Amino acid sequence: MNNIVRKFSLVLLSSFLSATFLFAETLRVGMECTYAPFNYKNSSGELLGYDVDVAKGVSRITGYDIEFVCQEWDGMIPALLANKFDLIIASMSITEKRMKSIDFSSPYRFSTGQIVGPKKKKMNLFNSNGEPIPNNFNGIKVGLERATTYSDWFETVLPGADVKLYDNNESLYLDLQNGRVDVIMTNPMKAYLKFLSKSEGSRFEFKSPVIDEEKFFGIGVGIGMRKGQADLKNKLNNALKYLINTGELETYAKKIFPFKLHQDSWGS
Amino acid sequence: MEALTGWWDDFFWGSKVVAEVFIASLGLTILFGLIGAAAKLSNSKIAKKLAAAYTVIFRGTPEILVILLFYFGLAITITSIAKIFDPTVKFIDIPPFWSGTFAISLIVGSYATETFRGAFLGVNQGSIEAAKALGMSQLQLFIYIRIPEMWRIALPPFGNHMLSLVKDTALISVIGLNETLFVAKQAITVTGKPFTMYIFVGIIYLGFSSIITLTVIAVERYGKRTTTVK
Amino acid sequence: MNIDLNLIVESIPEMLSGFGTTLYLLIISGFLGLLLAILLLLMRISGKFYLDFPAQIYIYIFRGTPILVQIFIIYYGLPQFEYIQDSMFWIILREPTGCAILALTLNTGAYVSEILRGGVLAVNRGLIEAGSALGMNARHRFIYITTPIAIRIALPSYSNDVVSLLKSTALASTITITDMTGIARTIVSKTYAPYEIFVSLAIVYMICTFIIQKFFGFIENKMSNYTKIDSDNDK
Repeated sequence: MNNIVRKFSLVLLSSFLSATFLFAETLRVGMECTYAPFNYKNSSGELLGYDVDVAKGVSRITGYDIEFVCQEWDGMIPALLANKFDLIIASMSITEKRMKSIDFSSPYRFSTGQIVGPKKKKMNLFNSNGEPIPNNFNGIKVGLERATTYSDWFETVLPGADVKLYDNNESLYLDLQNGRVDVIMTNPMKAYLKFLSKSEGSRFEFKSPVIDEEKFFGIGVGIGMRKGQADLKNKLNNALKYLINTGELETYAKKIFPFKLHQDSWGS
Repeated sequence: MEALTGWWDDFFWGSKVVAEVFIASLGLTILFGLIGAAAKLSNSKIAKKLAAAYTVIFRGTPEILVILLFYFGLAITITSIAKIFDPTVKFIDIPPFWSGTFAISLIVGSYATETFRGAFLGVNQGSIEAAKALGMSQLQLFIYIRIPEMWRIALPPFGNHMLSLVKDTALISVIGLNETLFVAKQAITVTGKPFTMYIFVGIIYLGFSSIITLTVIAVERYGKRTTTVK
Repeated sequence: MNIDLNLIVESIPEMLSGFGTTLYLLIISGFLGLLLAILLLLMRISGKFYLDFPAQIYIYIFRGTPILVQIFIIYYGLPQFEYIQDSMFWIILREPTGCAILALTLNTGAYVSEILRGGVLAVNRGLIEAGSALGMNARHRFIYITTPIAIRIALPSYSNDVVSLLKSTALASTITITDMTGIARTIVSKTYAPYEIFVSLAIVYMICTFIIQKFFGFIENKMSNYTKIDSDNDK
């Protein structure tokens, strides 16, 4: 029964969308370009990743042409506000704090954080309820990327922690490996795929449960845009719903992970 | 060095961008330097004050800060200015290539202002008087006497300015310009070999510096071709 | 274009908290760089090929590559090798401040050695010949004649290099150091107001540059006392 309803709304949706398919205006999309496997460049200079696929899918469905612009993470929102690009599709979590300055589409990926640290060091950072034990963070150097949900979480929950702020994700992993920081907090999906399951990461493991407090991580990652563009937001949301309901979003995720990265309920 | 395979062409395109930024900023730097020097040498108090402010601001501010400021602020400023003339203008965006080029040209241009000013002052007074005695117009005086002597004096320090230009290009990677350092960061994401990549970038820039230095030596020699060695 | 003046006033104290770090980087790198420069200078003017040539290569490399690249090679590149992490150098290289000072020192050392060499070469030959006529050996000539004059000649260029060093410390923010620029970038990433923050930061740096230039101007004045025409005595 549910299936029929879904297929019917799909037909309605696609006819509605095709009616709006008139112009080929170009939207510039901002992303880090150094955040594998979500948005990165391979050696042939091609942009690949989950965010890139989402951008291309949305472009195809809405009829907008897109152009990619690479931007360092801590300047992502200022650059959007300065009109360097029109959309942020860079695994940016939808948080209250960010919603004060920009608008988001509906979510297209889970947003969670987890702490990674060396196997050799015994660390008892969280109790059995999944809450952090502040005293056990003493003397531990934490690496975080500037202006991320992870740095926000740390600033609010563990303000006394010894934190070092990095410009990009890769530097985080590099310094974890060479021991400049003891732990990092970052996206667990990427951490597992690109690090822990590989030889470089064999000496490391997760040191915390998955943290997904909505206050810091929002309901997921979404497409960021400047405020006051309700029309654009609707088009993007409809496009995302289409991708979710047709299973296309799942194929993007399955290219990299053996599971999907979104909730089906986001499609309605 | 196998880490580099597959990335050679990306570094090549990155180097091309460095060359393009260099040529564009070289022209702008010479322009800004000449304007600044002219302002400082002129009789107008206002021009002198403006030129002094120009040199103080751009010699006293870190290059990376100027680049970041221009990237975020320039577009907003120019749009505001453009709106005065044409209210229908929605937005003028300046791509990182031009905000970065403009930024480093202004910075090195402020040093070039001092260099050019000193060079113009170093032109042989006797030659100038002789030219005036011969009835040359101001323009002829400028083209045939001032400029030829001036660029010969300015060349060695200006060679250093050109080296600064090339090296400052690496800073523009911070605002997303796809030159060699930015390519290196992308390559590191995929290969995880920072030393190899950054050393390679260093070698590329060393290559550029060497070309510039050798060119300056050759041009100096050309400039001295009619003088006898003392 | 509305400028949030409140934000500027609020953030200046926070940025100035990084001033200590900036000053620390400047003074330590400046001092160590000067020592390195003197060493390189002596190698360059020694006349011995096996000293001159390596110094020339060193200077060529460090003046020919961007300082940002040098910082990245030292901070991110070196740890790629496992044995660096186990060696005694790791004490310095582990800390970003150590890496920044190392990179800045190596860089400024190359530039300053050339400045000093320019000063040495510009010393009037006549004065040196007078020294040897008076029976001074090469070492005495260098210490008592060349050095004081060379310092005075090189001082303007050296002050320029100190200003450059100050500006280069801003790059330390790219390797997690919380100097003034690092703090400013963090504030910008939270407040999304790049214009206001960066302009105030620029003003702070300009004031520092002004102080450095005034300081060296004062020293230049003191050193040039004996070359000034003392009109009072011409009575």
